[in-house]
Amino acid sequence: MHIIISKEALLRPLTLVSGAIERKHTLPILSNVLIETSLEEVKFTGTDMEVELVASAVPGNVIQAGAITVPAKKLFDICRSLPDNSEIEFKVDGHSAVVKSGKSKFSLSTLPASDYPNLEEWSSSEKIELTRHALRALIESTHFSMANQDVRYYLNGMSFELEPNLIRTVSTDGHRLALAQQPIVNGLTEQRQVIVPRKAVLEIIRLLEDDDAVIQLHIGSNHIRIEEQNFIFTTKLVDGRFPDYRRVLPQGGDKTIVADKSMLKEVFQRVSILSNEKFKGVRLNLSNGELLVSANNPEQEQAEESAIVDYTGDSLEIGFNVSYMIDVLNNIKTDTVKIMLADSNSSALIEGYDDGSSLYVVMPMKL
Amino acid sequence: MDCYYAAVEMRENPELKNVPIAVGGDTERGVLCTSNYLARQYGVRSAMSSRKAKLLCPELQIIPMQMSLYKSISNQIRDIFRQYTDLIEPLSLDEAYLDVSDCSLFGGSATLIAQDILNEIFKQTGLTASAGVSVNKFIAKVASDFNKPNGMCVVPPHKVIEFVQKLPVKAIPGVGKVMQQKLKDFGIENCIDLEPFTITELGQKFGKMGVSLFNRVRGIDERQVCNHREAKTTSVETTFEQDIKIEQVNAELLDKLSIRLHARLEKENKPITKLQVKLKFDDFISKTKETQHGHFNLDLCHEMLVELAKQRPVHKIRLIGIGVGYGKEAIQQMQLFEQASSA
Repeated sequence: MHIIISKEALLRPLTLVSGAIERKHTLPILSNVLIETSLEEVKFTGTDMEVELVASAVPGNVIQAGAITVPAKKLFDICRSLPDNSEIEFKVDGHSAVVKSGKSKFSLSTLPASDYPNLEEWSSSEKIELTRHALRALIESTHFSMANQDVRYYLNGMSFELEPNLIRTVSTDGHRLALAQQPIVNGLTEQRQVIVPRKAVLEIIRLLEDDDAVIQLHIGSNHIRIEEQNFIFTTKLVDGRFPDYRRVLPQGGDKTIVADKSMLKEVFQRVSILSNEKFKGVRLNLSNGELLVSANNPEQEQAEESAIVDYTGDSLEIGFNVSYMIDVLNNIKTDTVKIMLADSNSSALIEGYDDGSSLYVVMPMKL
Repeated sequence: MDCYYAAVEMRENPELKNVPIAVGGDTERGVLCTSNYLARQYGVRSAMSSRKAKLLCPELQIIPMQMSLYKSISNQIRDIFRQYTDLIEPLSLDEAYLDVSDCSLFGGSATLIAQDILNEIFKQTGLTASAGVSVNKFIAKVASDFNKPNGMCVVPPHKVIEFVQKLPVKAIPGVGKVMQQKLKDFGIENCIDLEPFTITELGQKFGKMGVSLFNRVRGIDERQVCNHREAKTTSVETTFEQDIKIEQVNAELLDKLSIRLHARLEKENKPITKLQVKLKFDDFISKTKETQHGHFNLDLCHEMLVELAKQRPVHKIRLIGIGVGYGKEAIQQMQLFEQASSA
């Protein structure tokens, strides 16, 4: 393999795929990036056996096509440190890959391309199309509620539910739940539900730009793949049954509060300072037109703030983990929020006012 | 009670009266609970391994435990106590503190009450017991060991100091082998050696125990007899026939423990605040681990056991235990999904 390519053309796909590559791995070849060259394009692949990322670049000149793997992080660092607009010559010479640019010359170790692990062969059974913006919105509004290293492994990811006219994401850590949905055209004929692992979800947020370009989402039995103009991202799915969100959506909450989102968030942030650092519990005392938020900690310090809210009905005292409340308010897009409560042992349903695109459920705390 | 389990067995089977016996596990890895006085002459002691006991006393008969029998007799004895006072603090099946300050029988004489209780126990159960009578729990407990078996030791208020001064430190409840050695390093073997030290000195050297020692050598023990001791933890454990590796701790084994634990949790029915696990390794070293958690979760226990085993990877495992703790921390995050705790 022997190619000439500009720094910028090489750096962009390399940055993208290196997200899947772990620097220290028990399998040395997994620290490498696979580079495959044809006459028209150079293809870069990174994988950790769970997630696979492929990105391409157009080379300046292909002298000889071929395929090889080299240490990803080192190639990336070399490439990044070269002056802008440099021409880079990349040539495989025996067991080494030689990178030359201007007066610099680097010789990198290689491993054969044929040893590079492929995600097992899979075929997508179905495919939908949506905009980058729509997919980002679905993931961004819900990812913060995913569990992290929970023994209930199926919670360490995001559930994607696909229906004929709708795509829905749900994440929950067992204490709170986030749900978002977007309409789609030409959705699946039958309903499907898959769990995308946590790491893949966070990687998608890192990779995906926020515009109206259309991407393709392929769904297989054990994998999903996102194909878009910059990259192809494939991830294994979590094999497990995600809990049914419908069962935990609170029914029959008779106390509806409408309040200004920013105001409420600031109140929570101030009061949280003196909440128990470990449990983060705050007490909410609801009465006509007023929400009194208070907290105290083991050092016997206290915080209290009253917020004016739109509410008429019975009084209620209920406790919540204030971080969960702040997370929700950070992710609601409208200026006004609606909170629905029933009693001090039942969950709260929180939504943007007149915004059906996402909703949040938070279980209370016993204080 | 005097060698309680052994005494019960001898009562049930009089032939055992004239042979050395012990109650406990008669397997390769069994441990003794109690032995009769004949066996004790050979050096057989409680908590001794059955193997070692057999070496000391080859003709020792080891009798399997009949826990339900011991329990029912123990209840019978507790009923006797209740005729004298309601302030009863059981320490085990065969030992209890009784506060008889408010008992008006025998003109309020604790000595006569104690004697009457011993007589009553013998009359109703055919078993003998020993009593210590004094001004607080510490002196009474130590005194109860003085005239065993079937005896009584009374330490009246004006004799308390004299009584304590004669005691070795190891007689103080709570002073075990480790503490004994620590004290010995300071040249302290008897209670009287502790007297010159101030409470601050003892506190600095031995922490909480130091403060307690300062009080004990002066015959002071402010602890009340309390009849409602709240369990702070509930746990179950199992010892394996053969030492195992952590990889052999599987769902089946944990399920069995979990079922036993749940049976006990149902009785307690208190809000759980933490999970605890325990491993005893092949060299008898025990390690424990606990984590804050608001409900029982077997998978989490399993993970903790695996973590704990990593601390001593070369050792095999002799015993595992799982349990829960009930803390004062009432703060509790509620769960969205009903906890399928053992699922």
